[in-house]
Amino acid sequence: MTAVRLDRLTKLYGATAAVDDVTLEAREGELLVLLGPSGCGKTTTLRLVAGFVEATSGTIRLGGRDVTREPPYRRSIGLVFQNYALFPHLTVFENVAFGLRRRRVAEAEIGARVRRALGLVRLDGFEGRLPRQLSGGQQQRVAIARAVVIEPDVLLLDEPLSNLDAKLRHDVRLELRRLQKALSITAIMVTHDQDEAMAVGDRLAVMGSGRIQQVGTPAELYRSPANRFVASFVGRANFLDASPAPGGFVLASGLALASEHASASAGTVMIRPEAVEVAAEPRPGPNQFPATVDAAAFLGASWDLELALDGGERLMATVPAARAGTEDWSSGRRVFVRVDPAAAVGIPGSERPATPAHHEETPR
Amino acid sequence: MVRSGLTAAGLLAPASAVVAVGLVLPLVLLFRYSLNRFVPGQFMVEALTAENYVRFAADPYYLAILRTTILMAVGVTLVCLVLAFPVAMVLARARGRWKTVLLLAVVLPLFVGNAVRAAGWMVAFGQRGVVGSLMEAAQLPPVTLMYTPFAVFVGILSVNLPFVVLTLSSVLEGIDERASEAALSLGATPAAAWRLVTLPLSLPGVLAAGVLCFILTMNAYATPVLLGGPRFRMMAPTVAGEVLQQSNWPFGAAISFVLMAVTLALTAGANILVARRHRG
Ligand SMILES: Nc1ncnc2c1ncn2[C@@H]1O[C@H](COP(=O)(O)OP(=O)(O)O)[C@@H](O)[C@H]1O
Ligand SMILES: [Mg+2]
Repeated sequence: MTAVRLDRLTKLYGATAAVDDVTLEAREGELLVLLGPSGCGKTTTLRLVAGFVEATSGTIRLGGRDVTREPPYRRSIGLVFQNYALFPHLTVFENVAFGLRRRRVAEAEIGARVRRALGLVRLDGFEGRLPRQLSGGQQQRVAIARAVVIEPDVLLLDEPLSNLDAKLRHDVRLELRRLQKALSITAIMVTHDQDEAMAVGDRLAVMGSGRIQQVGTPAELYRSPANRFVASFVGRANFLDASPAPGGFVLASGLALASEHASASAGTVMIRPEAVEVAAEPRPGPNQFPATVDAAAFLGASWDLELALDGGERLMATVPAARAGTEDWSSGRRVFVRVDPAAAVGIPGSERPATPAHHEETPR
Repeated sequence: MVRSGLTAAGLLAPASAVVAVGLVLPLVLLFRYSLNRFVPGQFMVEALTAENYVRFAADPYYLAILRTTILMAVGVTLVCLVLAFPVAMVLARARGRWKTVLLLAVVLPLFVGNAVRAAGWMVAFGQRGVVGSLMEAAQLPPVTLMYTPFAVFVGILSVNLPFVVLTLSSVLEGIDERASEAALSLGATPAAAWRLVTLPLSLPGVLAAGVLCFILTMNAYATPVLLGGPRFRMMAPTVAGEVLQQSNWPFGAAISFVLMAVTLALTAGANILVARRHRG
């Protein structure tokens, strides 16, 4: 097991920084997910680690070893590409054996290790096939077997599931996680899909405009995002302009909002949609606001509501169908909104999303 | 279905007509000529005889011409492929404006006709030409380049190179760059990655480019005439000589068909060879 350390890593293309002063660690045996919208520098970061892109400045360490200036073939890295990149002219067996042959492993051992790797990805018996005779999911598993059979120090995966259809993507990501833990191999996986990131990652590094915005466990990022960009990229969120006040905030419309996370520097309050409670009648407690339902969608397990507070603020709310009972939240209906003071999180208002285009990219 | 079938037929008709009139008809006529008899003074006499083919096969003079042509074609093709491959790789990997510039540089020679380029080489290879003057300046013994097989070799090479580069690079462009990156990450040196991944994947392109170059050389006319001089003989100029100077249409036609048959046979042979390698 080897840790990967990136230290102040920068890659400039002309004047623009694809990767901008990135300091990041993937700990031994951990699956670190690089999450961010397309164009934010994830692939470039991975290619820097793999050695296909030369760093403008900064260092890359595998274990204690500085590999910043080493060519790719001396780095001991397993790579899995989005498009699989199998060798189309070689059989499944020879694809997986490729790295072992380059390491001059004895023929008998090659046979055993290739079969073990193929067993690991549940492709026993496919040795003689050519890549074009396999489905996309099977090709991706061959690519994974090919990468792990050489027992690399680090496994790098660039959007490994993006070319698979939704159902398969779900299965393969669980498989991937099981495999990574079974081999206890340090891995960095890139994705723009927050569900995928949260499902497989031990820790997430959210990236925007070439910079690391925040690193933490999925729960940490979800509960206390460092900025609005992270908050909107990890889960859905309401953002309300606000100024700090004793015990909470004052919203732009003048409504007072009690919060357990008040901070003097916050210019925005973030409230997750599932933390917005909606009821027909007012109930005791703080943060009660009359509101009107603007739009309502029944999603089976929950209702998705768009609400307009009487002060003018707009809120998205997700109400579990079980809690809503037989209520019908049709639009135009008058309701009462309640926000738990623990769920109103102040975040620095100055730090806007780091890329203007991220809304199109945010997967739902 | 019937309608779309008719539409397809309608769309194919003009091209088919051009091929029929422009290619098949002359070939059929030429083949018929090759079976006629040549009687001096009488031009061409209707007949059904193989004597023109027998004459070619029995005469060492003509067999030597065929051998020279095949050797030239094989040699030019091999050297062309070796020289063109790196250029084609660079061209295939290039992006944006840099690619346009490179592409233009490769295509530009094609704007100058074959014969004009050969004339250029005549200037370069001539007694007081560029190469001769350089050799003299370097105090090297004078060598004759003009009217040698070597001059023809260089001439045809330069004519064919752009075609080979373009054909190769279009195939190389289709090869996934990630595959060779995967090879590098698995511990292959750049040379090994090229040998084990890039080259095998580019084999169909090498074949296509090689066949193109081979056919062009087998049928080369202007370059051998201008740079080879009167004593250097290749097949295409020999055909022209029989027809234009001797007015011997039957024998000229027979030589044409020998040239075509040999070219086809060797091309097919190379195809089969590569196909077998590719599968195995
Ligand atoms: N070879 C390159 N030349 C110039 N710009 C590049 C190159 N590779 C990537 N970039 C730029 O760097 C930025 C980050 O790209 P990339 O790492 O591919 O993002 P991601 O993988 O997150 O989608 C993009 O703006 C992209 O246009
Ligand atoms: Mg990418």
